[in-house]
Amino acid sequence: MESIFEFLFKYRPVLFQEGDIALRNPWPTLVLVVGGLTAAAIVVLGYLQPRGRATVFDRVVMTALRTGALTVAMFCLLQPTLVLRSVVPQRNFVGVLIDDSKSMSLSRRGGEQGSAFVTERLSADGGLVEELSERFTIRMFSFSSTAGRVDDPATLTFAGTRTDLAGALDHVREDLSAVPLSGIVVVTDGADNGGRVLSESLVPLQAASIPVFTVGLGDEALVPDVQLDRVQVPASVLLGSAVMVDVVVAQRGYEGRSVTLEVEDDGRILARQDVELGKDGEPVVARVRFTADRVGPRRISFRIPISEGERVVGNNRRQITMEVRRTREKILYFEGEPRFEVKFLRRAVQADDNVQVVVLQRTAPDKFLRLDVDDADELAGGFPRSREELFRYRGLIIGSVEAGFFTHDQLTMIQDFVSQRGGGLLTLGGRNAFAEGGYVGTPVADVLPIVMDKSDDGPSPRAIALSVAPTPAGTFHPATQLAGSEESLEQVWERLPPVTTLNNVTAVKPGATALLTGRSTGEPATEHVVLAWQRFGRGKAFSLPIQDSWLWQMHADVPLEDQSHERFWQQLLRGLVDGVPDPVAVTLDRERSDPGEVVRVTALVHDSTYIELNDASVVAKLISPVGEERQMPLQWTVEEDGSYAGSFVPAQEGTWQVAVTAVRDGAEIGADNGWLRVEPGDDEFFDAGRHSALLERLAEATGGRAYTSDNVGDLPEDLQFTGGGVTMIEERDLWDMPVLFFLMVGLIGGEWAFRRQRGLV
Amino acid sequence: MRFRLRPAILLGVVLAGVAEVALPLSRGLASGLREGETSSATVRREGGAVFLSPAQGARRYHEFYFTRAAYSSSARSRFGFFGGRGAASWAIDYPKADRQFMVVLNRLIDIDASPYENAIRLDDPDVRRFPFLYALEVGGMTLTDGEVQGLKNYLAAGGFLVIDDFWGLDEWSVFERQIGRVLPGRPIYEIPTTHPVFNNVYDVANVIQVPNVRRGQMHGLYGTPTHEGRGSEMPHVYGIDDDRGELMVLINWNTDLGDAWEWAENPYYPLKFSTYAFEMGINMIVYAMSH
Repeated sequence: MESIFEFLFKYRPVLFQEGDIALRNPWPTLVLVVGGLTAAAIVVLGYLQPRGRATVFDRVVMTALRTGALTVAMFCLLQPTLVLRSVVPQRNFVGVLIDDSKSMSLSRRGGEQGSAFVTERLSADGGLVEELSERFTIRMFSFSSTAGRVDDPATLTFAGTRTDLAGALDHVREDLSAVPLSGIVVVTDGADNGGRVLSESLVPLQAASIPVFTVGLGDEALVPDVQLDRVQVPASVLLGSAVMVDVVVAQRGYEGRSVTLEVEDDGRILARQDVELGKDGEPVVARVRFTADRVGPRRISFRIPISEGERVVGNNRRQITMEVRRTREKILYFEGEPRFEVKFLRRAVQADDNVQVVVLQRTAPDKFLRLDVDDADELAGGFPRSREELFRYRGLIIGSVEAGFFTHDQLTMIQDFVSQRGGGLLTLGGRNAFAEGGYVGTPVADVLPIVMDKSDDGPSPRAIALSVAPTPAGTFHPATQLAGSEESLEQVWERLPPVTTLNNVTAVKPGATALLTGRSTGEPATEHVVLAWQRFGRGKAFSLPIQDSWLWQMHADVPLEDQSHERFWQQLLRGLVDGVPDPVAVTLDRERSDPGEVVRVTALVHDSTYIELNDASVVAKLISPVGEERQMPLQWTVEEDGSYAGSFVPAQEGTWQVAVTAVRDGAEIGADNGWLRVEPGDDEFFDAGRHSALLERLAEATGGRAYTSDNVGDLPEDLQFTGGGVTMIEERDLWDMPVLFFLMVGLIGGEWAFRRQRGLV
Repeated sequence: MRFRLRPAILLGVVLAGVAEVALPLSRGLASGLREGETSSATVRREGGAVFLSPAQGARRYHEFYFTRAAYSSSARSRFGFFGGRGAASWAIDYPKADRQFMVVLNRLIDIDASPYENAIRLDDPDVRRFPFLYALEVGGMTLTDGEVQGLKNYLAAGGFLVIDDFWGLDEWSVFERQIGRVLPGRPIYEIPTTHPVFNNVYDVANVIQVPNVRRGQMHGLYGTPTHEGRGSEMPHVYGIDDDRGELMVLINWNTDLGDAWEWAENPYYPLKFSTYAFEMGINMIVYAMSH
C-alpha cells in the first residue's frame, strides 16, 4: 500500500505526515486572478451557449469536467511544494542501541537469528549503517543488564542474561546529552525483563524531543514451545510445612498434550505432577504440593522435560529461593470456656516442634487457666492489655468468647495485631463467637473474612450439622490438604464425619476466599462457610465457624491411625503464622542477580509495638558464598517511615546472605536475613518472542516509528525528516506528482468519453 | 489463677441447684439403662451435637455431656435400698448424681454442660462422641470383648476416663485385671498433688476420702471412720498416661465422689466431702477438656 502511495504521490506517506504543503506561486496575484477568471469565462461561455444537440445536462457535465481539468492545471502552475524539516547532514548524532542479550541468539523461523541481523546489517559495511552514516554521526551501544559503547557490532557475544531497556535508554540519553541528537535506534526483540518501569524513561525523551525508532527482530510467537510462565512460592516457610505452589504453564503447538512437572531441591525430587496442556496460547495453572523438609535457603527448581521440536529449551525450568526456618512460632489461643477443641487442638499440634500454642482459657469470670506459657509472668493478667504483650505472638486464635469481654482498646488492638503487626488471626465458632458473641460492629468484625448474620434462635442458637467439602479454592490451599498418597482430597473430606455450627455464617466478604463449606444434613439443606480467609493490612484472618473439629479425631468413623485432624490443624496453624513479619524485615529487589549487578537492600524497622522507627542504626552484614563478610550501613529512605535502604554489587557467584541488624539506644531491636543467588540467569529465554506492541508503544510515545527487519530500509530517510537535532528547511516539488497527471488525463479523457457516449463529437 | 471453693458459697449453690433435680428424681422419673438400650437420653446425634427428646426439655447443643460408661458387671448394687432400682453397678447413683453435679458445674464455671445424664455402652460407637467418660463401682466390672475394644479405641482416639467408687484390694484387683485387658502393660501410678489435675481450677492440696452417704452421715454425727473395711483406709488417686505422657485414665480408689455429688443437699452429709468432690470433679472435667 505504501509503495502505491509513493508511486502516485512521489514521496512516502511519512514525509507528508512530517511536512507541510505550500504553494510557491511565482505569478503575481493580479495575473493569477485575471488568468483564472478568463479561463473560467471561456469554459463557461463556450459550453453553456445553446448549440447543436447538447442538452442542459450535457452542458453542465462537460463544463464541470473541463473546469476540473483547468483547476488541476492551475494548481500545477501555482507550484505546490512539500516543506520539510530535514536534519543537516553530518551535523547530528544518532544513538544505535543493540540488544546483546541471549534471546537475540534464538533461532528464528527460517533460520534467521536476531544476532545475525545485527552482525550483517549493522556492521560498518552493512547497508543500514552505511545509509545512516551518510546523514548522521553514529554512536553505537550494546545493552543487556547494563549498557555501554560498542565500536563494532560484530564483536557482540549475545550472552546478556537480562534486558534492561529502560536503563539502556537512560544511558544513551545521558551519554549523548551534549550533542545534537536526532534520535535513538533500538535494535531488539523487545523482551524487557529489567524490572524497571519503561514509562519513567520515556518522559525525559519526550521532554527533549528525542524520537525512538525501534527495529523489532524475530518471530512474534515461537512455535512449538512450552514455557513455565510463572511460579509463586512463599519467601519463607516453617520446616515441615506443606507448600502449595501455583505454576503457570504456557504453550504453543502442543495443544491437548500432557507433560510432567517436577519439583526438585538439590537433586532430590520433591514432587511430580502431570499437567494437561490447554489450547494453543492459553496458559494453564498447575498446582503442585511438596513438603519443605530441609532447613536453610533452599533453591527449588520447577522443571518440565523438553518436548520434541521445542524452539526454546531454556524456558522449561524456573528456580526460586525459599527460606525454610526451624523456629518455634508462638500462637496465643484464647478460649472463653472449657471446650474440647482446646484439648484436641493442643493434641494435634503437640508433635509439631515449630508451633507453640499458648492457651489462655477462661474457666469462670476473671479466672483463667494458662497452658504452655514460657514463664510465670506470661498472661498472668489474663488477655494482653498492651500492644507489646499481644504483638509478641505471631498468631492469635479466639474461641468462644463474647466481644463484651474485651475492652474497646483490646478489640482495636486485635485489629492492629492483624493490620499493623501482620499477625494471623483465627476465629473459631461457638455459642459466644461471631454474631452470637456480639462482634457485629466491633473493630474485630472488620478483620473477619465472613459476613456475620445472627440466627433468630434467641439465646440458645440452633446447632446445624454440616458435611464439609473443600471449595475449588480450598482444593489447593495448604490448610486443607489432608490427602495422603492413596486417596484424593475429595475422598478424604467425604469420609470425615459431619461437624456442627452454632453460628449462621453463610457468606464471605468480597475479597475473602471460602476454603471449606458445609452442607447441612437436615432439610432444607443449606450451605455454610466452614473455613474462610482474607488478607487484612499486613496480616491475614481466618474464620472457622464450627466448634467440634475434634470429631475428625475422635469419631468412631475415623480410623485410629488417621492423621487428618492433626494434619488439618498443623497446616492451618502453620498457614496462620507463615510470612508473619518480624520487627525487622529485609527485602531485596531481586532474588537472583548477575555478577556485577547492583542489588538494593531494603529493611523495614519497627519497635516491639510495631511502630515504624526512623532513628535506628541499621547495618547489613553481607556474607559472600565463601564466607567473606562486609558491613554495609543502611540509611533511612525518608520517603517511607521505618524504611532503610542500601545497595551493593555482588561479584562472586553463589548464595549471598544479607544479615540485617537494627539497634536503637544500644539495644537490638531485631534482625532478619535476606538471600541472594548470584549467577547468570535464564530470564532471557522466557517470553522470548518479539514484543511488537511494546516496541510500537515506545516509538509512538516518543514520535519515532517501529520497524521490522523487512522495512528497516526506510529508517534512514524517516530519521532524516522526523528526527530532532540541527535541522534545515527543505522544499520538494509536488507539481510533478503522477497523481496530478493522472487526474488531468482522467478529466479530459472523461469529457471526451462523455461526448462520444452522448453523440456530441 | 486458681481459687478455693468456699464451703458456704458451695452450700448455697448446691441447695439452690439440687432442688431442681432432687425432687423429681426421688419420684422415680428417671430410670436406669436396660439391656438393649443404647442410651437413656440420646435420641439423635449429629456432628458433635446430641439432640435429646423434647420431653426432657433438653437444649439442642451442649459442649459437654457428663457421660456415664455402661459396662457389663457381675455384681448388683450394694445399696439397693437407696435407689431401690436393682440396677447394674455402672448405674449406682444414676442419674441423680449426674444431674446434681451438672447443675453445680454449670453454676460454678463458665461451661456449656448438658444438665442431663448421658449414659452409653462402651461397645457403642457413639461413645466416641463424648470425650469424657465416668465409670464407677468397677469392682464388679466384667468387660466383654466388645467393650474392651470399644474402650481401648476410645482412649486411643483421645478420650478421658474417670473411675470412681471402688474400695479395697479385692475390687482393685478386679479393676486392675479389667483395665489390663484394655491397656495391657501400661503402668498405673499415683498422681502427685502437684499434677495439673489437682490445681487447674481449684487448688486441691490433699486427697481425702469421700464416704458413701451412709458412712458420711455417721461420720458427721458420730465421727466414725469413712472407709469401707480392711484395705480401704487410705484414698488414692491413680493415673494411666497415654503414649504422649498425658493422663488419660484417672482412678479414684477408696473414695466415692459420686455419692458426694448425689447427696450434697443432705444436711447430714458433711459439706467438706461435697466440697472436695465438686472441686475434684470440676478439675477432672476441665483437665479432660484441655489436656
